[in-house]
Amino acid sequence: MSATNIVLGVIGFDCHSVGNKILEAWFTESGFKVTNLGVMVSQEEFIAAAIETDAKAILVSSLYGHGEIDCAGLREKCIEKGLEDLLLYVGGNLVVGKTPFPQVEEKFLKMGYDRVFGPDCSLEKVSEMLKADIAAKAR
Amino acid sequence: MTSNRVICVDIGSTYTKGAIFRLAEDRFVVEARAVTPTTVDYLPDGFFTVVQQLSPGADWHNLTAADAPCPVYFSSSAKGGLKVAVVGLVPEMSLQIARLAAFSAGARICASYPYRLTRSCISRIEKAQPDILLLCGGTDGGNERYVTENAQALAASGFNGTIVYAGNNAAVDRVSDLLADRELVICENLMPDFGRLNIEPVREAIRRVFLDRIVSGKGLDRLVAAFATQPVPTPLAVLNLVRVVGENIEGWQNFALIDMGGATTDFYSFADAYNPDSGTIMKGIVEPKLKRTVEGDLGMRVSAESTFETGEAYLAAVSDFSTEQLAALKNYVMGLTTNTGHLPANAIEKYYDSLLAGACIYHSLMRHAGSIEEVFTAKGRVWAQSGKDLRRVSRIVGTGGYLAAMAREGSAVAIPDRAVLPTEKTPLLPEKFVYLTDNDYILPLLGNLAEKFPRQCALTAVSSLTVTQHYEVKEPCQREFIKA
Repeated sequence: MSATNIVLGVIGFDCHSVGNKILEAWFTESGFKVTNLGVMVSQEEFIAAAIETDAKAILVSSLYGHGEIDCAGLREKCIEKGLEDLLLYVGGNLVVGKTPFPQVEEKFLKMGYDRVFGPDCSLEKVSEMLKADIAAKAR
Repeated sequence: MTSNRVICVDIGSTYTKGAIFRLAEDRFVVEARAVTPTTVDYLPDGFFTVVQQLSPGADWHNLTAADAPCPVYFSSSAKGGLKVAVVGLVPEMSLQIARLAAFSAGARICASYPYRLTRSCISRIEKAQPDILLLCGGTDGGNERYVTENAQALAASGFNGTIVYAGNNAAVDRVSDLLADRELVICENLMPDFGRLNIEPVREAIRRVFLDRIVSGKGLDRLVAAFATQPVPTPLAVLNLVRVVGENIEGWQNFALIDMGGATTDFYSFADAYNPDSGTIMKGIVEPKLKRTVEGDLGMRVSAESTFETGEAYLAAVSDFSTEQLAALKNYVMGLTTNTGHLPANAIEKYYDSLLAGACIYHSLMRHAGSIEEVFTAKGRVWAQSGKDLRRVSRIVGTGGYLAAMAREGSAVAIPDRAVLPTEKTPLLPEKFVYLTDNDYILPLLGNLAEKFPRQCALTAVSSLTVTQHYEVKEPCQREFIKA
């Protein structure tokens, strides 16, 4: 059984590259085949990569505070492109200001993301969840 | 005759052209040239006519390679060249790479389809009868669904050409099983990882199919056997020439070549596609250093009508013509499509031809070149580039009968330094360059020597060119960049 493909990138016009490199190393270490699109990634690029690599999940990062507007509509575009079953994870500093995390989470879950993470989440937990979610989809 | 001579022949769709070259120190000298109409039913007839004229001392018809007075190399674009249909997955990813690969093998793309082949795609492929169908999609270990479904659709189709498979390696077994009763060539994935190009194996596979399959028709196999040499598709000869010039000649590390004919305009570039120090961020694939594109709708005669349609807005913008004058131009163009051998008879027709040539160059350049757009981020302004950066191109070469004739007559050719028509993004066009022309129309023949004599061939090519015009942009589009 070959490694599961996942797609990783920082969405929109966000140039924060350090966390992106850490995530790439982390998920590769955890046994995934990571296609890392780097920074400043558009929704279309995430989708193109997910189709060509047959990825099971897209992991979207956003650090610069414009996450809400950048991330909206990705789920709908995935459905349009035939990726109904794709897992969408999002994490980072998703909105500007001091909105409590539960509100942020609710907002992004409503947009169609399967999991939402703040800037201080545990990566170990994230990869556990990701493996469990992918296994659940495969059943 | 001694063996420091070589004969090159190019069997075109209309004319069979040849030249005999003598190797003098570091470069070739043209000793004689010959041309005859291509004998479409049996290509060797025209070939022998040309060779016999070039070297009358020998009985070429009854020669073998061992006793020929000098080696013979040849290229062919007869029967309209090498027709390829391309089937990929995502249009701007695997399909775009497949198109680049097919063009760089010297092919003409007659159809290209992304995602799933529908019944109407299949029937269009059956109708177009390509020599080769290039099937790809999915990274290695990536998507298998589309390539297997497309293989299934092709297995059930009436298409009987060769299929070259260069998609996801995990799907090779299923694709081979599905296409077991077809001529199938399996090669390495042209996008093994997302965004990584692997064009060479596909190029090589297409070249081999060209030799095995295309050459056997129309008598070319006889020439292969007689002269122990293998033909290349004419555009591949030109592409090889562009490569050896870029690799061997000082000062030619960034250049482009336009080959404008009656039916198509081919655009070649040898330049770094992306210059990371310029502070831009690359979107999509980084294109290869050596790139060829072919525009089937841009040409001076057979395609004059579609050139006019594509270029109507451009022609109106650059000519200052009134509606009546534009109608007169259109009238001229319509006449050309039926009388493809027409040569301009007077000053106004010459002007019309130079306008048409300008439209071919404008649109082929705009399609070949990439673009940048300015985006504002929380951290300031950055540039996002897609496609190939041609700003550093310092020389543009014009070849083909029309551009050679225009240069000889001293009529100017318009090469744009900026978008004449409104565009969403800023095109990355050459900013300061010399326009040189192949006045003797020797480059395609010379291209036959590129693999065997790279350095001599390159030297001969650049020294045979004539400097025709200097171009310099007054306000280079974006010189100043802000680091992202």
